[in-house]
Amino acid sequence: MKIKYITLIFFSLTVFSGTIYEFTNDEDEKRFNDLIKDIRCPKCTFGSLSSSNAPVSEDLKLKIAEMVRENKTDNEIKNYVASRFGKESLYEPELSKGTYLLWFSPFVILLLALSIFIFRKKY
Amino acid sequence: MKILLKLLIISLPISFLFMFFVLLNEDKQIPGADYREFDLPIFNLEDLDSKRVIKNTDIKGASIINIWASWCITCQIEHPYLMSLNKRGIPVIGINYKDDRDDAINWLSKFGNPYQLIIHDYKGSLALDMGVTGAPETFLVNNGRIVAHYQGEINESIWNKVFAPIIEEQGLFK
Amino acid sequence: MIVEISHFLAIISTALFFLAGLFALTIKNTFYTTNLISKTFSHAFLFFSASFFIYIYLAITDDFSVQYIANHSNSALPIFYKISSIWSAHEGSMFLWIFFLALWGFIFNIFIKNTEILKPKTIGIISLVIVGFLLFLLITSNPFVTILPIAPVNGADINPVLQDPALAIHPPTLYLGYVGFVIPFACSMAFLINNDASVKWESLVRKWSVMAWIFLTIGITLGSWWAYYELGWGGYWFWDPVENVALMPWLAATAFLHSLSVSIKSSHLRTWTILLSISVFSLSLFGAFIVRSGIIDSVHSFANDPQRGLYLLAFISVIILISLSLFISRFSLTRTHRSIKTLSKESFISINNIFFVTLIFSIMLGVTYPLIYEYFYDQKISVGAPFYNAIFIPIVILASIFLFFSIESKWSRSIDLKIFINPIFISLILSFVATLIVFINLEKINVFILLSIFTGLLIIFRYLIEIWNSFVYKKYLNPFSAIAHFALGLLLVSISLNSLLSSERALNIKINEYEEYEDLNIYFRDLNLVKGPNYDSVKANFFIEDENGKSFNLYPEKRRYSRRGQITTETAIYITPFRDIYLTIGDQLEDGSWIVNIQINFLIRWIWFSAFLMAFAGVVLISSKRKV
Repeated sequence: MKIKYITLIFFSLTVFSGTIYEFTNDEDEKRFNDLIKDIRCPKCTFGSLSSSNAPVSEDLKLKIAEMVRENKTDNEIKNYVASRFGKESLYEPELSKGTYLLWFSPFVILLLALSIFIFRKKY
Repeated sequence: MKILLKLLIISLPISFLFMFFVLLNEDKQIPGADYREFDLPIFNLEDLDSKRVIKNTDIKGASIINIWASWCITCQIEHPYLMSLNKRGIPVIGINYKDDRDDAINWLSKFGNPYQLIIHDYKGSLALDMGVTGAPETFLVNNGRIVAHYQGEINESIWNKVFAPIIEEQGLFK
Repeated sequence: MIVEISHFLAIISTALFFLAGLFALTIKNTFYTTNLISKTFSHAFLFFSASFFIYIYLAITDDFSVQYIANHSNSALPIFYKISSIWSAHEGSMFLWIFFLALWGFIFNIFIKNTEILKPKTIGIISLVIVGFLLFLLITSNPFVTILPIAPVNGADINPVLQDPALAIHPPTLYLGYVGFVIPFACSMAFLINNDASVKWESLVRKWSVMAWIFLTIGITLGSWWAYYELGWGGYWFWDPVENVALMPWLAATAFLHSLSVSIKSSHLRTWTILLSISVFSLSLFGAFIVRSGIIDSVHSFANDPQRGLYLLAFISVIILISLSLFISRFSLTRTHRSIKTLSKESFISINNIFFVTLIFSIMLGVTYPLIYEYFYDQKISVGAPFYNAIFIPIVILASIFLFFSIESKWSRSIDLKIFINPIFISLILSFVATLIVFINLEKINVFILLSIFTGLLIIFRYLIEIWNSFVYKKYLNPFSAIAHFALGLLLVSISLNSLLSSERALNIKINEYEEYEDLNIYFRDLNLVKGPNYDSVKANFFIEDENGKSFNLYPEKRRYSRRGQITTETAIYITPFRDIYLTIGDQLEDGSWIVNIQINFLIRWIWFSAFLMAFAGVVLISSKRKV
């Protein structure tokens, strides 16, 4: 009885979580684990779904597990989350006009600098 | 060539630091407010009182949707404001979020009922579909499309800052 | 009130530091003035340390009339945590930061003779930096504020998450690293002011820089290790903005150390070296700014205060602009007209510098991009692990391959290709075979991970051969380079295998039942209520047995701290040489079963071991008698 009382104090909001994620095969489970690492917890200042046990994170994880079981693609799942919680809930910024600079400039700079060094004129 | 290099070395950090000055001084948007538009999600849930089935298509025209629960303390604080909205003739629909039905009904009889309609979202599936992260949260919906979303306690000040501009712009609640 | 004495001493030392700096940079340096400056600095330090130690005394004796101590400490805390509560928040940690700045300066002051040409100006610059920070402390972040007339009876408690030995040591270690780089910075500035290219400032600062680098390396590793066992998520690096902002100085520092040895040995790259010394220190300061201004959300952030952010940014800008202007005005001072020979060590290190700068740039880009994007597009985005991994993995692999081929390279001349071939050839074959074995044995294939493993092995095998050669054939081998780079190879392999082989699952088990996962049988023996010193906890007892019959117990907990009502998860970890079995309990479900999160983390201890090994290489360098 005492255990039930204490746990109710601890977990009163999350008793409604339901069952946890069940997968029929390992690939699904791996896909799920990777997905929740790349999606931000909507309520936390920083941290992925994988690292959060806020109620909304738990709900979202259950929903994502369900979508993985339904064989939805990673993109479909990410779009689902982004359209409801914002693009900022994805840790991987999408490749768009506004992010070309982000994704490509490191390599461009590396190439440029290396070329300048290798082909420098000797004094 | 050397001049170019020198210029680069000094101008890059300067522009970078300047950027930070600008960013630090910038006025942030109202925290908690979100104006992303999306369709009201499809749902099929019970009315809290009558247990009659409500669908997303039953929500017509312009209305306020409020996420609340009997276990949510801040909801008690914003409650009077919702009552006043209701008095002004603004339709307020409630989504009872992850709440026990009896607890919710008791809460309403104790504090008063500002809602024209209450959807019992026991599992929180509709709320999840709407991007809700907790209670209280308030949405402005127009013709099946969500046009504004505020996370947190709603009051006159928030109403004027977050919702009133959109209502004015789209000519709602006339 | 005793705190007022501490306050007063801090003000006096500010004045003294200012005097030392003023003298050093305005008056002509003679033996007499240098002596004066040195003594003034030492006195300033003594006053300041008295101020700091009195403050520690106040914390230990529970003087809650001091607002900061009241907000962050509590009489129930053990002494160790009363002391560490000082640096648990902004004002106090700033105090510690400045103390360490002064400490480094003081030790430098003692060890370096007054006859050293650059000494007075170096001390002067360090003094002025200290003054800037002290003004920041006293004006905007005063730790000496008192609650009067009635002091609270007891303090607020410290966040329970911070009551941890590793976390208590992590900030001081990091700070010692960050502020230690004021020495090469100040010395390089002194060198530029002095305007004489024949002065070898690089030799002067070498061991100091390595020491600071060691602290930085250990500090970051401690943070990673702490996060792993305390936060319950089982990860060791999150690309959190504050982690990133600590990594940038570390990368700059590592590049700086490499460039430094080139400058010492063959006087090439002296310009790069100066620029890098400015960068390391600037990045350290920039890190302090980011963490304390609240401009970026993070798990680490101290209280948001844009006003402080503004002051810090202004201060950092002044330092960066002055140092860069000085650098540009003396640009030709260190340019040599001899060219760098292809495939010489200098050329490899130049390329290394380019790689490191690219990595630093990438992190800076990733950390600031969300801010820039939001400013222009009015939309929020996040830049996290997928981005950083995509940039780091290929570049680190590339740089490591260059490292592999550079090992034989000579100072100031090209490599003799014949001796070149053997160790390279053998390493290539061994690594290829080993990687093939890995590839065949594991069903999962990931090109980049395999490449990382291959590259890491290349480095490991190559150095093993070189070590063998140095013992058997007395062939020369630079010990610090060997240990540090071997550690890098090990790090690459550990990170790759950890990412490839680790797994996790959320099980649900009822008491007295068991579940199977991988090769483990997990039996939920019992659940008990435990009362701790300042918390209540639910403590689970798991009995775990593996395929070979080996068994052990794990006791994960969920705690509720009485003072603040905070709930924390205590992980239970079973450590074996190759893997960690990592257990946490989640919530209880309606059917009475409990969610149990189990992770099997492969080679994670090796990751930290590699990092500590790298730091150890630095220790070997410092304690050696050699010049380079």
